[in-house]
Amino acid sequence: MANNKEVMKGEEVTLEIEPGTDIIEVNKQLAQKNLKLMRKHNVKAIDIMGSIGAGKTSLIEKLVQSLKHKYRIAVFKGDLTTTIDADRIGRHGVKVVTINTGLECHLDANVVARAVERISLQDIDLLIIENVGNLICPAEFPLGTEKRVVVVSVTEGPYMVVKHPFTFMTADVTVINKKDLAKIMKVDTEQLKKQAKEIKPNMKVAVTNALTGEGIEELIEALEL
Amino acid sequence: MHELSMTAQIVDSVLEEAKKQDAKRVTEVHLVIGKLTFLGIEQVRFAYNILVNDTIMKGSKLFIEEKDGVIECPSCGYKGAIQCEDDPAYHVPIPTLRCPKCGKAAKILEGKECTIKRIKMLK
Repeated sequence: MANNKEVMKGEEVTLEIEPGTDIIEVNKQLAQKNLKLMRKHNVKAIDIMGSIGAGKTSLIEKLVQSLKHKYRIAVFKGDLTTTIDADRIGRHGVKVVTINTGLECHLDANVVARAVERISLQDIDLLIIENVGNLICPAEFPLGTEKRVVVVSVTEGPYMVVKHPFTFMTADVTVINKKDLAKIMKVDTEQLKKQAKEIKPNMKVAVTNALTGEGIEELIEALEL
Repeated sequence: MHELSMTAQIVDSVLEEAKKQDAKRVTEVHLVIGKLTFLGIEQVRFAYNILVNDTIMKGSKLFIEEKDGVIECPSCGYKGAIQCEDDPAYHVPIPTLRCPKCGKAAKILEGKECTIKRIKMLK
């Protein structure tokens, strides 16, 4: 507040201040704090974003199945309501914390920090965070994870990547899911891959079928796990 | 999509500043919103006008300055406006983090802010 300016006009005093508060920055700082805390405990956290029905939960199930013997895993599951997905993931014998956002369209660093308090970081090596199903808002709120993944599926049509460039800019890995339906949907997965790399040249891309597990190894490699 | 919650945070911050200054009324709020955020200006205005009701911000003028996206390349040091790739196959020009000088991935430097730049109030 270096530039306070006071002006007297009759009885009235007008005050101008320049707080410079960045509302988005507040979340970013909290995210940095989460990241620091997780690094201190050698926990690698991954944020999985993507629209409703893209296959985020199925992918996480397959990731958990493939990795649970290598890492001690916990999963945070962001959802507006219900624990349906948390129960699905919990069946695989890993700790699941549901974060019901109620109305909010995304997770933020603050709710993640509170969820972290409900687990013990010394008992895990890998934290997978499934964001709320939404291809737009979560991108604005980093959670403090090492990697961000954005999942799209071919059933959402051929324009998911080009329509959401700013979301893809914030991701490290793109997953193109439901590859088995590409032909039926007349969607070219190579084209989607090219677009993701166009938006971000160092993007890693995995083409998967989360139901059969096809492409999961590709994803694990992209996540450096 | 999250304009309401973001605007609510903006209003809370302004009210907090006004309280600190012992202000009677807030008359102007100046925001800077980056074009690479996901905030719709019209929706921010809409939410603002609803949220300021019943507060000392009621009737205040909201000024929003939009800020263009600027990228910086960690590989070659290029710094400049974010570029668009205009391939007819994409139907729309898509913004890209590809560095126009060396082709590697650049980072966003500006355009992601939502800052309360200035508040004018009556004491």
